[in-house]
Amino acid sequence: MDHSDIFEAVRRNLGVVVYDLDTTTVTLDNSLADLGCNSIDRAEVVTLTMEDMGISVPVMEFQQTRDIRSLVALLARHSA
Amino acid sequence: MTGRIGIEALNVHAGFAQLSTAELFEGRGLDRERIGHLMMRARSIALPCEDPITNAVNAAAPIVNRLAPQDKERIELILASSESGVDFSKSITSYVHEFMGLSRKCRVMEVKQACYAATGALQIAAGYLASGVSPGAKALVIATDVSMVDARAGYAEPATGTGASAMLLGDDPRVLALDLGAFGAHAYETMDSARPMPDHDIADVDGSLFAYLDCLSNSFADYCGKVSDVDLRTTFDQLALHTPFAGLVKAAHRKLMREQARATPDAVEADFAARVSPSLVYPSQVGNLCSGSVYLALASLIDNAPYRGTARVGLFSYGSGCASEFFSGLIDEGSRAALAELDIAGRLNARIPLSFAEYTELLAENSRCLVPIENRKIEVERYRRFLDARPDGREPVLAYRGTEGYHRTYEWV
Repeated sequence: MDHSDIFEAVRRNLGVVVYDLDTTTVTLDNSLADLGCNSIDRAEVVTLTMEDMGISVPVMEFQQTRDIRSLVALLARHSA
Repeated sequence: MTGRIGIEALNVHAGFAQLSTAELFEGRGLDRERIGHLMMRARSIALPCEDPITNAVNAAAPIVNRLAPQDKERIELILASSESGVDFSKSITSYVHEFMGLSRKCRVMEVKQACYAATGALQIAAGYLASGVSPGAKALVIATDVSMVDARAGYAEPATGTGASAMLLGDDPRVLALDLGAFGAHAYETMDSARPMPDHDIADVDGSLFAYLDCLSNSFADYCGKVSDVDLRTTFDQLALHTPFAGLVKAAHRKLMREQARATPDAVEADFAARVSPSLVYPSQVGNLCSGSVYLALASLIDNAPYRGTARVGLFSYGSGCASEFFSGLIDEGSRAALAELDIAGRLNARIPLSFAEYTELLAENSRCLVPIENRKIEVERYRRFLDARPDGREPVLAYRGTEGYHRTYEWV
């Protein structure tokens, strides 16, 4: 699956979870925490994106994700 | 085979002292904006004269003491679930069995699977009772734990409680009649939280939240695979979930409603208020009771939800490591009457509020609770004002008075 499609899904779901976020400012270098996501918000953004894209990732693999770039890469790896 | 099997009596002991969430945030310099996210008001704090054994006994005693002698004699199985073991070999249950004065013709043991263990124990006990090998038998399942969190736990510190939930199981399920055979399980190895030493917890908060949410979806899917025509919206009148903190339960409910019912945010919010929020009243005043947590939520639900007649409750239990189960049962207006006898709310309200300074002083002593020490003495009298503050003041409670040659010793106060 295209990384840009997954990034767009992450960005869209950030807007759903963090109501007051201007999602046009979100880049691959941001971390979800930088964007104001607490631990529940982060879980929500990731699970919403997995649902949207039909992707399933073993939960502990998310430990290695530090920014949106590594999150997108992880999701892309499991979408193949 | 027996007909109805389930919980005949349910009681929660959540200590004698409490610390408000605001006081703890202030004392630790935590970000107050995150109180809303936790949805916590206070947490129970242990005294040095309390341990997993006193918690278990003080939860179970009001149940056992109300039994007729011939019914007490029919308790044939005691399972204590705990992640706060006091010995590698000897179980918490052996002490509980002694102080409850139960029949010697009894199976006695302890089980462990983090915050899930009580549900595993309950299902095993229910299976034994339903098998018909000993008609009329009763089982006691007690989830008991103590907190080991301190400043290192960050935002988990305000959400962690101490205490025990005790349940008497049998064929007269006045509190909750189990839907036998209606359950879904999901388990796999993961390192989301653990207690590698007797005085220190470790947790990967994000990993634990993911695993909880993942297990909820998968155990619910397994439940739906075993039970025909399940509809999340209509099959269950109420829901009670394991509550590490109330904010997580809100997120979990939102996720399941989105997946199962394609619900809009407004519909999710209304459904949460009606079916879930009554289960969070006690947990938000106590904190996470580990494997007793879902039964504290059930007690909260029965005491606070305005249901009429018979209501089906969907329950979810999750324990790090990890194991989980979604199951269900029926409550009715008799459940409310059965719980009212034990006045859980009255005892929660009687807990004495602590200042942050009093709390940190207790914390240093409490952190030694499970550390194996050959000899130790606890001055129970120092804590008398806490122990005496309970509303049922004349009913004795058990206190830990120290360890002699590795044998833990207790006294009734």
